[in-house]
Amino acid sequence: MNASSPLTPSVFALLLSLASGEKHGYAMMKDVLAPEGGGIVMGPGTLYGTLDRLMRDGLVVESHFSDDQRRRYYRLTETGRSILGAELQRLDSAVSAARQRGLLPAGGRS
Amino acid sequence: MNPPPFLATIIERIYRWAIWLYPIRFQQAYCHAMRQTLRDALADTAMPLTVLVPMLFLDLVQSLAKENLSMLRETFARPMLVFNAAVLAILSTGISLAIYAIPQQVLRQGANDPQIELAGNAAYRLERGASPGTVVPQTDPDSRIDMFESLSPFLIVYDEHGNVLSASAELGGKPPAPPAGVLDYTRAHRENRITWQPRSGVYIAAVIRHVAGAQPGFVLAGRNMREVDAREIQISEMAGLLWLAMLAVIAAGSFLFGWLTRTPGTSPA
Repeated sequence: MNASSPLTPSVFALLLSLASGEKHGYAMMKDVLAPEGGGIVMGPGTLYGTLDRLMRDGLVVESHFSDDQRRRYYRLTETGRSILGAELQRLDSAVSAARQRGLLPAGGRS
Repeated sequence: MNPPPFLATIIERIYRWAIWLYPIRFQQAYCHAMRQTLRDALADTAMPLTVLVPMLFLDLVQSLAKENLSMLRETFARPMLVFNAAVLAILSTGISLAIYAIPQQVLRQGANDPQIELAGNAAYRLERGASPGTVVPQTDPDSRIDMFESLSPFLIVYDEHGNVLSASAELGGKPPAPPAGVLDYTRAHRENRITWQPRSGVYIAAVIRHVAGAQPGFVLAGRNMREVDAREIQISEMAGLLWLAMLAVIAAGSFLFGWLTRTPGTSPA
């Protein structure tokens, strides 16, 4: 995974969720389910499968912080943050282009 | 509204069983975390069961398929493993084809042996003035060989235009004649060895010799190939079974080798 390739919706939603701080599984599930988080229905299997691949790619690490023995927390790495930033730039450019072409209202919420 | 405790326990227990369907590495790494996530969801009053249960089911179906396929790909789709299996499969295919083709050719060529001698002797005698009736035995129509039923070699003598002069065999009441093109080829090359199909389902290993001299013509010595065909089918079946067995051994060996040499993934937390 590199900064030039677009992220899948699930990966983008998870990175976006972790951008605001370390979180445990269910907190991420709720984040990505919310419309502003991507509106993605993601169960535990998909969530931990995606996290597993993100950890292998070095975008996310387990933070080892726990408020409960069985609840595990994850956070973004610097690489993860920069890839999320690149994706947001790419999406921002796309939204700007759409706005210029009249596909979105000018100054509206993207 | 939270589900009643007994219902939450049942859902969690079913989910725990379902987690066993994930690859072992995935189970070891995330079993507890996944169950805890489910407990968090069951405890969340904002997550109704009518949303949670279908979501869990759909997620299980999708992620089980994805994680198991991923495990299979990582374990068995390594280039060296696939390359070795492909080379072995190609080798086994070549060996099986050779096991089929070599005996098949030996059988087919061997099926011509008596006819070569019969046709050669008859042509020799005809060229020295013997009459077709004396060269061909059993010319009486009542004692002729049935080309469909009998496995005995037979002789047919034709004139230069392909008309039957004398025959020791018949098919459907009369001796058949080979196609004109076969006789033309034989005239040009003196001898021709063919698999002749005078009628559907009847295959004759035929040797045709051109007869030169005062009364030119052709001698055809033939023999029904029914037994040879049966042996060829047996050989093709044995070669096919051997091929399948070798492919099965290669697949099993590659599977076992891939499993034993799989790279360990993320260590269980």
